[in-house]
Amino acid sequence: MNAPAGDTDRQKELMLLMTQHQRRIFGYIYTLVPDRHDAQDLLQETSLVIVEKFNEFKTGTDFAAWACQIAYWRIRASRQKFARSKVVFDQNVVDAVAETAAAMADELDARHEALANCLQKLHARDRELVLTRYESAQGVGEAARRTGRSMDAAYKALGRIRKLLFDCVTNQLATGGAA
Amino acid sequence: MKLSDNEILELNELCNALADGALTDTQRSRLSHWLANSDDARRFYIRSMGLSASLFEYAGEMQIDQPSRIVRPTVWSWRRLAPLAAAAGVAVAALFLFQKKNEVAAGEVAANEFVARLTDSKDCQWIGGAPGDSLHRGQRIELAGGSAEITFDSGAQVVLTGPASFDIGSAWDGVLRRGTLRARVPTQAIGFRVSNPDVEVVDLGTEFSMVADGKNATEVFVLEGSIEAASGGDREPIVLRERESRRFAKGRVSAVADSEKKFARLTKAHAFAHAGAPVHFVHWSFDEAGGGIARAEVSGIAGASFDARIEGGASASDFSGAHVDGRWARALRFDGEFYAHAPLPQIEHAARTVAFWVKVPEDAPLASSSIVAWGARDKTKRKSGEPFVQIGWNRNPTQGTPGALRADFGHGLAIGATPLRDGRWHHVAVVFVPGRRGEAFTQAKLYVDGRLEEATARPDKKQKHHAPAAQLASADAGDAAKDWLWIGRRAGAVNSKKTNDRFCGDLDELFLADRALAPREIVHLMNTNTLAQPKTLAAE
Repeated sequence: MNAPAGDTDRQKELMLLMTQHQRRIFGYIYTLVPDRHDAQDLLQETSLVIVEKFNEFKTGTDFAAWACQIAYWRIRASRQKFARSKVVFDQNVVDAVAETAAAMADELDARHEALANCLQKLHARDRELVLTRYESAQGVGEAARRTGRSMDAAYKALGRIRKLLFDCVTNQLATGGAA
Repeated sequence: MKLSDNEILELNELCNALADGALTDTQRSRLSHWLANSDDARRFYIRSMGLSASLFEYAGEMQIDQPSRIVRPTVWSWRRLAPLAAAAGVAVAALFLFQKKNEVAAGEVAANEFVARLTDSKDCQWIGGAPGDSLHRGQRIELAGGSAEITFDSGAQVVLTGPASFDIGSAWDGVLRRGTLRARVPTQAIGFRVSNPDVEVVDLGTEFSMVADGKNATEVFVLEGSIEAASGGDREPIVLRERESRRFAKGRVSAVADSEKKFARLTKAHAFAHAGAPVHFVHWSFDEAGGGIARAEVSGIAGASFDARIEGGASASDFSGAHVDGRWARALRFDGEFYAHAPLPQIEHAARTVAFWVKVPEDAPLASSSIVAWGARDKTKRKSGEPFVQIGWNRNPTQGTPGALRADFGHGLAIGATPLRDGRWHHVAVVFVPGRRGEAFTQAKLYVDGRLEEATARPDKKQKHHAPAAQLASADAGDAAKDWLWIGRRAGAVNSKKTNDRFCGDLDELFLADRALAPREIVHLMNTNTLAQPKTLAAE
């Protein structure tokens, strides 16, 4: 049996919104739970709730903010699960960061866009190192191996590259994209 | 309150440690204090972690943009979301299924990507049957007894002594679950890594041994050179040098009991016969002093003559300026206009290796990238599955480092890391490997100056209708252009007017071998300009 036309439209809307905002939701979760795999697990759990509750979402309102609120409560509910992680913060810290992060959503979107340009300005060897580090499930070890560096050298290089990118993005936003 | 420079430096260091999973308890306390008490610090932290979150996204896009490369599994899991997505409707399911397709592709590629070979064994009692000669990503090797030698594509060599269980990771790493391992890592494989929950060992060019009890302790012994070792509980690595050893257990590092006795046992040599397959090849040395013919030396490959004819360009009469000093004796200097072509050797074995020396001026046009090619010349025929190989350098900055070694093969491509246009001689070797069913090439391994730079595989199923690689040269005798090996230009019609991608640079010692050369054979070829038979190499 075919779904009613209204249901189909709603499904398309959900698909479109998730496609558009998945990165922002992941970024929000990762800021509060700064471990890639934990953040990915939480994104999946959040996605389940979003699918379940989508009929409560009002079209035209801020989907990302709504989804991030769901993510926040998933993180609170999962504190015990992630307590084993040594990077977990106290709840009062998570709350403070969550509040600030919600207020910075537009800025973070702009920084994400600017980063694409800054990545192109990196030396090819540095770009390969940083993208391998973030692409690979093996992390720094795989990035060190592929770029012929020791682990120690890779850690130092990654710190330097992130600083370069951070400053480049900041300058680009300050100069309206001219940096 | 604005952050001072020193405060920014401290926060930056804390965020870096956090992003790399290296945050200590003291640093975590310090960062928590900052985040609880300073709005500016929180903003800095959120921007910094947002940068990392964005880098995950961009790094993933980089992979997905290159369909022949391994596609990372996405953050969505269809298995967990399927019931709800199905309830929500077809459109949502389509989104999730799209994501799942990428996961399946990644699994197929992993199983299809050979990253090591079983190069010898002695008295082996295999658990679950003997593995094949070629070992793929993720493959588990389990030995009840005896010894097995595994040679990784990076050149690292591992000998397992049973009882042992070892997982092949990539050409550059593996996991010792239990048992005894001895690893010998030549210079070109520095960075090779062996890990397990107790310890991660990164080799710095050496020989080391690991003994894992499979429960909670691993002992590491450096037989020669040095290594970096990080325990499972503490990411800060320590450096161990020759004749040093450590025990890693439950995040703690301690001395090894009876280490001298263990060193004496572990340093005993393994007696392997190293009987390998002979290698047959065609070799163009380009040692001629002049003229329009590059003679071919042939070893074990049938054919009347594989001499290459030099053609095209304004100096077509004698090509006197094209013969220059090379890496070994003389070389051919391509000017972006002339090229050479030779009958494509009919090779019986499916895998093969192309190797040569190349020197490219720094100011060579990025477009003039075609060095060696054969096979179907247009996209329509390539889509139909006809074999195609082109080796040159990368011209597309969105796909990889511009100017780095690039091999296109059918629907796949592999791109290295070292830019070739630097005015220096580089030794290049490209190993093409067929799929499990002996069909057309599904993987290309790129070596520059003896070091593995890239090993790309694509799903085998795409090739199910393809002609076997062994029939490459004779698949369509009616199209004469396909039977040529092209040197200094792309594959195509003899009278093709398309010349903007013809090669600019010096080419020397071109070899086409009838099987996949092992890493040490490639290094031997680079160092001696000869292709030694396996017996010779085993004696070294």
